[in-house]
Amino acid sequence: VTDVHAPTSKAAPKSEAAELEGEATRAFGTGPAELAERGSGGTSGPSGTGAGWGRWAWRQLTSMRTALILLFLLALGSVPGSILPQQGADPASVTQYFQSHPGLAPWLNRLGLFNVFASPWFAAIYLLLFASLVGCVVPRTFKLVGSARTPPPRAPRNLARLPLSVTYPSALAPGAAVDAAASVLGGQRFRLRRPAAGDAGQWVAAEKGYLREVGNLLFHLSLLGVLLSIALGGLFGYKADELLVQGQTFSDSTAQLAEFNPGRLVTGSDLAPFSLTLDNFTADYINSGASMGQPEAFNAGVTYTATPGGTAKKDDIQVNHPLSVDSAKVYLIGHGYAPVFKVTGPNGAAYNEATPFIPADTNSMLSDGVVKAPGASLGFEGVFVPTEYMADGTIESIFPAANNPMVSLIGYTGNLGMNSDAPQSVYQLDTTQMTKISGSPHLMSPGSTWKLPGKLGSITYVGTKQWVSLAITYDPGQIPALVCGMLSLAGLLLSFFVRRRRVFVRAAPAPGGIGSIVTIGGLTRTDASGGFEDEFASLASDIADASSPGAAPSPAAEPATAPDPNKTEPNKTEPNKPEPNNQSETGA
Amino acid sequence: VFKGPAVFRAKRRTVVTTAAAVFVLLAAALVVTVVTQGSGDASANMVAYRVGQRPAAPEFTASSLTGTPINFASYRGKVVVLNVWGSWCPPCRGEGQTLKYLDEQYGPEGVAFLGDDIEDTPTQALSFLRGEGITYPSVNDSNGAVEQRLSLAVPISGTPTTLVIDKTGHIAGMIDGAVTYPEVTTLLRDAGVTK
Repeated sequence: VTDVHAPTSKAAPKSEAAELEGEATRAFGTGPAELAERGSGGTSGPSGTGAGWGRWAWRQLTSMRTALILLFLLALGSVPGSILPQQGADPASVTQYFQSHPGLAPWLNRLGLFNVFASPWFAAIYLLLFASLVGCVVPRTFKLVGSARTPPPRAPRNLARLPLSVTYPSALAPGAAVDAAASVLGGQRFRLRRPAAGDAGQWVAAEKGYLREVGNLLFHLSLLGVLLSIALGGLFGYKADELLVQGQTFSDSTAQLAEFNPGRLVTGSDLAPFSLTLDNFTADYINSGASMGQPEAFNAGVTYTATPGGTAKKDDIQVNHPLSVDSAKVYLIGHGYAPVFKVTGPNGAAYNEATPFIPADTNSMLSDGVVKAPGASLGFEGVFVPTEYMADGTIESIFPAANNPMVSLIGYTGNLGMNSDAPQSVYQLDTTQMTKISGSPHLMSPGSTWKLPGKLGSITYVGTKQWVSLAITYDPGQIPALVCGMLSLAGLLLSFFVRRRRVFVRAAPAPGGIGSIVTIGGLTRTDASGGFEDEFASLASDIADASSPGAAPSPAAEPATAPDPNKTEPNKTEPNKPEPNNQSETGA
Repeated sequence: VFKGPAVFRAKRRTVVTTAAAVFVLLAAALVVTVVTQGSGDASANMVAYRVGQRPAAPEFTASSLTGTPINFASYRGKVVVLNVWGSWCPPCRGEGQTLKYLDEQYGPEGVAFLGDDIEDTPTQALSFLRGEGITYPSVNDSNGAVEQRLSLAVPISGTPTTLVIDKTGHIAGMIDGAVTYPEVTTLLRDAGVTK
C-alpha cells in the first residue's frame, strides 16, 4: 500500500511546482548557507535622494558579500603582520630590519607595516567588518526568533506533488483518519496545525526540527558575543613591552614601559601595579649534531610583587608559560646579551651600566649596540659576539651561548646631541657632531680596559649579563571570546545536523462512500544529513497502521485524540470529546 | 535560448559595484580612523588641578643618588617641584638648566626641588648633574617603585614629567615633557608661591 515515490515535482508543470514550493517552504530554512543569499538584492541602484544613497550604502555594507570581502581583506592584511617583524611583538627585529633594508624599511613603515595590527588601515577593515556583521546579524536574529515561533504552514492542496508522498485507502472517515495521523505525528513530537474554523478539508500539517533554528539563533548570538568580546579587549585591554636586564627591576607604569599600546578606554593608572625583577635567565642550546646552536629551552627566573609594598613571590617564565599577575599576563618573547661597561672621562666616572645589545643574527647571537656617555663626551658603537671566532679579520660568532664573549668597539668623541628636546633611540648613536677616535675597531675581552688616546678617558668591558624582552598583556575579552566561539560552533553543528521537515496529511472521502483516501506528503529543505526518506517511510507506515481500525493497538486510542478546531494551538489535543461536526467531507 | 553572456555581464557589474562600494567605505573609514587617531596628541602638555580636586601625592621612603635616605613625608608643609627624569632621556637633559635656574630663584622662597631618576644608574645620573651644576637631590629610583606610586595618583605618560605639590601634600598640577619657566611659575602660583 505504501508507495513512496521519488520527487514528483519534476513531472509537475513548472509554475505549479514553484507555487507549491513557495507555500510549503515558507520561512523554512534560515541556515548559515542561506546567509550567502543576502545582499544579492543590494545591487539594485540607489535612488537619487541622500537617504536612498544611505540605505544603499547600508545595504552594501551589511551584505554577506561585503562581509566576506572584508574578512578576506582582514586575512590578507594579517599577512605582512606575520612576515615582517612587528614593533609590538619584537621591536629588536624591527630595528634590525631597518638596518638591513635602509631603503625599503622607511616606506614599509610609512604604510604601517611594522605595526599592522595598530595601523589605521587595519582598524578601518575590522571596524567595517564589525559594522557589517552587526548590521547583518542583529536583524537576522529577530527573523530567526520569528521563524522559530512560526507554526507549520497550511497543508498544500495537492500533496502528491511534494517530493515524498504516499496515498492509501482507509476504512475510517476522513476526520477520524486525520485525527489518527495527528496523534501519531504528535507522539513523534511534531508541532501540529489543524484547519481553523471555516477552513475547508480535513488535514493536518506537522513540522519538526525547530532545534535547527535554535542552533541558528545560538550561532548568531554567539557571533555577536565574539564581536563584543573583541570590542571588550580592544577597549579595556592593553599590550606593553619591556626589556629587562638580569638583576634589574621594573615597575609596571607607562613611563617605564618600552612600548605601551593601551585600549581606547585604558589609561596608565589602569595598569596592574606590579613590579618584577629578573633574577636569572638561562638559554639552553643544542651542543652538537646537525641542529647545533638551536635553542632548546629558555627560562627566566623572576621575583615579583603584585602591588606596591606587597609580598615578593618567585616564578619562572618560559616560552608559552607566562606569569599571571593581577589579571595581566607576562610573556617571555625575546632575549639577548647586555655587556657591562664602565666609562671614565676627564671629569670622572660617566657610565656604569649593563647595556642591552640587539641581536643582528638570532642564530649566532652576534649583536649590535651603543654606549652613550654624554658626561664624558664619549660614545661607542659596538658589536658583541658570545663565542668569538676570527674569519679573515672579521669578528664572527660560531655559537649563541656566551662561551667566549668579546666586544668590538668603535669610539667617538664630541657632542652626542643628547641635550635637546629631540628624542633619540637608546640603540643608536648620533655621530653627526662627533669624531672617530681610532681607525679600526678595538677588540676587548671581559675585564679588559681600553685607554683612549689623549686625555679622553677609558672604557672597561666589565662582564656580560643577559636581558629578556617581556610582553605584558591584559585582554578581558579572551575568555568570553572562547566561550562564545565554542557556543557558535555548537550552534552551527545543530543547524547543520538538525533538519527542518514537514509532513502533511489530507483525507478525502473515498469514492465508494465508506472510508477515505489518505494522502501523506513530506518535505525537507536541507537534507544535508540524509535519512528523511527513511523517516518518512516509517512515519507513513505508522500513520497507515493507526488509521486502519483492525491494526489499531487499542480502540480507545482513536476517539481519544479528537482535536478542537476552535483552538489556535492545534497541537494541544483534548481527550474524550466527540468528533466535531465538520460541515463537509464527513462522508456516510 | 542562450543567455550566457548577459548573465555574465550582470554578474560582473554586481562584482564591480560591490568592489567599488567596499573601496569607498574603506577609504571613508580610513579617513575617520586617521582623523580620530591624530586628535589625541593635540592636548596641552600642562594640567592644573583645582583646590579640592587635587590628587594626594603618595608617601614614600627611598634613598638619594648619593645614598642619603629620603622620606617624602618630611616635605609636608613645603611646596615641592618633583621632576621625573633619566640621564638617558634627551628632553630631561635639555630641561636641566631651566630647572637649575628655577631652583636658584625659588629655593630661597621655600620651594623644595626633588628629582626622581628612573631606569638609570647613579654613575650616569650624577655625571649629568655634576655637569649641569644641579644641586638639589634626586631619588635613586632605578626600579621605578616611586614613579609607579606617582603614576597611580596622576597619569604620567613618560619622561620628563614634572609635578608641583602644594603644602598640604596634594598635586597642584603637572607638566608632561620638558618644562618651560612660565609653566612652572604658573603652577607654583597655583600652589600659593608668590615671588
